[in-house]
Amino acid sequence: MDEYAIGVLTSIGLLSFVAASAYLLLTAGELSFGQQGFFGVGAYSGGIATAMLGLPLPVGILMAMLFGAAAAALVGLSTLRLRGLHFAMATLAAAEMLRILFELFHWQMEVGGETVGPDGTQGFRGIRWVFERGVEPLGFLFIVYGMLAFMVLCFVFLERSKLGATLRALGEDPQLAGMLGIDVLRLKLAVVAAAGALAALGGALFAHHNTYIEPRNFDIMLGVHSLAYALIGGLGTVFGPLLGVALDLGVLEGTRFFQGYRMIVFGGLVALLLVWRPRGLLDERFVHWLRTRR
Amino acid sequence: MRRLLLLALLVSPAALAQKTDAKLDCKFTGTDFVYDCTIRLNRGGEPLAGAQVTVGADMPSMPMAHNIKPVRARPTKTPGEYRATLDLEMTGEWAVKLRIAGPVRDQLILHYDFTESGTVPRK
Repeated sequence: MDEYAIGVLTSIGLLSFVAASAYLLLTAGELSFGQQGFFGVGAYSGGIATAMLGLPLPVGILMAMLFGAAAAALVGLSTLRLRGLHFAMATLAAAEMLRILFELFHWQMEVGGETVGPDGTQGFRGIRWVFERGVEPLGFLFIVYGMLAFMVLCFVFLERSKLGATLRALGEDPQLAGMLGIDVLRLKLAVVAAAGALAALGGALFAHHNTYIEPRNFDIMLGVHSLAYALIGGLGTVFGPLLGVALDLGVLEGTRFFQGYRMIVFGGLVALLLVWRPRGLLDERFVHWLRTRR
Repeated sequence: MRRLLLLALLVSPAALAQKTDAKLDCKFTGTDFVYDCTIRLNRGGEPLAGAQVTVGADMPSMPMAHNIKPVRARPTKTPGEYRATLDLEMTGEWAVKLRIAGPVRDQLILHYDFTESGTVPRK
């Protein structure tokens, strides 16, 4: 496999985590424009863990997920009483606040004769744990897809469990779910934290893949795209957002011959797709049809 | 695999501490967003010759969505100097990723503004 194909597949894998985090929130009935903020929290905390504290990558990833979940829970605590678009706007504001915090974050130290650590708008260089251990791009691709497979497995179990059904009920009608005895706020908070941890996991892997991160990596464009992945791919199954990412990057890469008009063509295709299937390709109705056909 | 990992862990910190420096100078070719770039590599104050350099680029504001197909840079007659043609999607700031193999293995990220005349390093 050539370096370009490996790069595209790695990007699809990395973006799948943040898309899955937006999908998890959508199944619980919440629209978030702010998952990029937790992706950033994961990238920074994972980078600090390995590049500055000398911890191994698995510990760095766990730390990133913990910080991502904690940051998301904090945001959730103050915003979950909001509904619909108000919640979406609040998550966007929170993500922008996080991005500005990354711009103000300076913490550097000498490691092996080099200064490493977050340096505000100049970014955070030297996240080289993966690179220095001789992990080649193909090896890293396997790491990313191994973790992605584990995440998909967890989602499949969740969707077939009682908790999964409860989540869907919550997403459909929170008032009715509350009347049935579901602790709506607590469950939503748990979902927000889990989605934050997922986005952070993607962020930690992204930081180690790139060896460099900066606050602008985590701006609104990533948030909009992650939501779009879930909406394009469909809300019927976790494979929806993954299909959304693959289609997005696939269409982007496949329309290179349009050169400067590429983004216009891409935007047009996405708009057409959403007119044709408003809840995405793998929507609930299609997934139900697939399941009952067997 | 285990041996490789052990070897990687035993590499001396001094060797790791020696940094590769890179400078990029690109000229607009006249074709939309295509740039001819010269890369100068130095390590420990000496030009880094005989390296295999692969050049990629990504837009920092939308990581992974706007990137280019990595290209192999060709060495010139000047030691430590390499040439590559980058076909970008648009002007603006790009994070240029250099993957270096051969006498040393390294990965560098350089930030440049690609304008209608050439490149300006980001301050």
